[in-house]
Amino acid sequence: MIHLLKIEWLKVRRYTAFIVLAFCFVIGVFLINYIVYSVNKNIVSNVGPAGLISFSPYSFSNTWQTTSYATGFILLLPSLLLLMLMTNEYAFKTHRQNIIDGLSRGEFIGVKIMIALIFAVVSTLLVFITALCFGLASGTSFSMSGIVFVGYFFLKALTYNMVALLISVLIKRTGFAIGVFFIYLGGENFVAKMLDLWSIKIKRDNGTDLGGMGDYLPMNAADGLLTFPRNTISDMSKSFMPADYTWLILGLAFAYLLLFYWWTTKKFKTADL
Amino acid sequence: MAILSIKKLSKNYGAIRALNQVSFDVPPKTVFGILGPNGSGKTTLLGIVMDILKATEGTYEWNGESSSPAIRKKIGTLLETPNFYHYLSAVENLRIAARIKEADEDDIPRILEIVNLYQRKDSKFSTYSLGMKQRLAIASTLLGDPDILVFDEPTNGLDPAGIAEIRELIKELNRKGKTIIMASHILDEVEKVCTHVAIIQKGILKAVGSVREVMNTGGEAGATEAALLVELGAADLTQLRTVLDKMPGIESIADAEKGLLVVCPESLGTAAINKWCFENGVVLDKLEIKRKSLESRFLEITGSKSDK
Repeated sequence: MIHLLKIEWLKVRRYTAFIVLAFCFVIGVFLINYIVYSVNKNIVSNVGPAGLISFSPYSFSNTWQTTSYATGFILLLPSLLLLMLMTNEYAFKTHRQNIIDGLSRGEFIGVKIMIALIFAVVSTLLVFITALCFGLASGTSFSMSGIVFVGYFFLKALTYNMVALLISVLIKRTGFAIGVFFIYLGGENFVAKMLDLWSIKIKRDNGTDLGGMGDYLPMNAADGLLTFPRNTISDMSKSFMPADYTWLILGLAFAYLLLFYWWTTKKFKTADL
Repeated sequence: MAILSIKKLSKNYGAIRALNQVSFDVPPKTVFGILGPNGSGKTTLLGIVMDILKATEGTYEWNGESSSPAIRKKIGTLLETPNFYHYLSAVENLRIAARIKEADEDDIPRILEIVNLYQRKDSKFSTYSLGMKQRLAIASTLLGDPDILVFDEPTNGLDPAGIAEIRELIKELNRKGKTIIMASHILDEVEKVCTHVAIIQKGILKAVGSVREVMNTGGEAGATEAALLVELGAADLTQLRTVLDKMPGIESIADAEKGLLVVCPESLGTAAINKWCFENGVVLDKLEIKRKSLESRFLEITGSKSDK
């Protein structure tokens, strides 16, 4: 696998989109958290005395959850990059040439999945470092409590990357694949919101708590694990919101990942290239 | 043992049958041409044996073994168009290919010299002309000094000098004992370079064998008797045609510039034709054995002048 990863490195190291998007993501992780930090600081300083939102999102142990949640908004960057790397292979027909030159189909798609994993690991490391820095800057004492949210972030990053990879294998054309990726993302979010509202209605009308059903959808399963830390406002809405069945959602998120893995590899291994 | 042995290979694209039960062997150390009009199934055939297309039916073996990545690493292949990363230079692209093939990267400058691209080795692939891209693709096939080379339309996009160079390179590689499998629809190219040929039309193998065999035998693939091509002349060509029409063994009669062109089994012989015509009241004023070109043979086999 190291040999294959070195070949992939030769492919991407001079690819402008890789350099630009990777740079944007690294800067973006810090920037989006700084924005959340600044906005929260200003809100707290303005309405804090009223006691409405009197909590510090970047103090230990909130920092792990807040950083993971906030960085989730720019997770599209690495997944878009992965999508472009894969559709480039189709556009240049280099996927065929790589196979002709002696890679097996399993090796070719296997190393792309490995890149999806590496992107997720690197994103998670960035989140860990950023959360640590913001946490230490908050002046509170270090705590690993809440580190599980960094794990959820990893799951979300991997899910986004695997969906991007699957779409690129199915669609093949860069522009079209990016369009489908965004439409799917938007479409699933819309359906998820409808399902969430339905869950609230069922709970209110029948008293049956099915959980937030929107979280049972593929990308929302990983999304649903990452929420903003509990605060006064979220506590106020807790009474009528459906419960979070974390273990169920976690199981679903892993199941969807397995499904994406199986579908991507099967498609690439059996299709005409 | 055959370098490549294809048995009853078929490929369907939905309702379209692109290849139909194609079988043949590629002997070692030959330049084996796969000849056919555009859309006849040449590239599909090569795509299957290089594992990028899945066969609907049939099998194939390289050197008696089922295809595998290890075997493909030892074959230099240019299929259809040159496939490289547009944003990388020639050297960087070849380095990727060399890593996959586990070939010596130090050999890249020498290979680029062979295809006259050394001066532009650091230019991005996207800045290359069509001919340069084709040359780079040929360079890629030479990585690792493979014993088998597969070329699909290798002279695409090359100028006349480039075409001559590539032809000479193919002949030189063959002289060094390499087996070359080459698909082309350019008859002249195949005739000048190939020692063996398979003719495919609409996915069906029409003829296969050495170029000499294919040019001289009549009928479909597997035919063994050599054919004779004779140009005949007489004072009355209409009468000559009527007489020849009745002669047993004559396979076809076509108009020639100043007479008639006749195809018959070699065993029939020119003496028998002369005798038959004389006995039927026609005195021949011309009887000339013609050398067949691959083009005439190809048209005879495929029965079409289109797409040549």
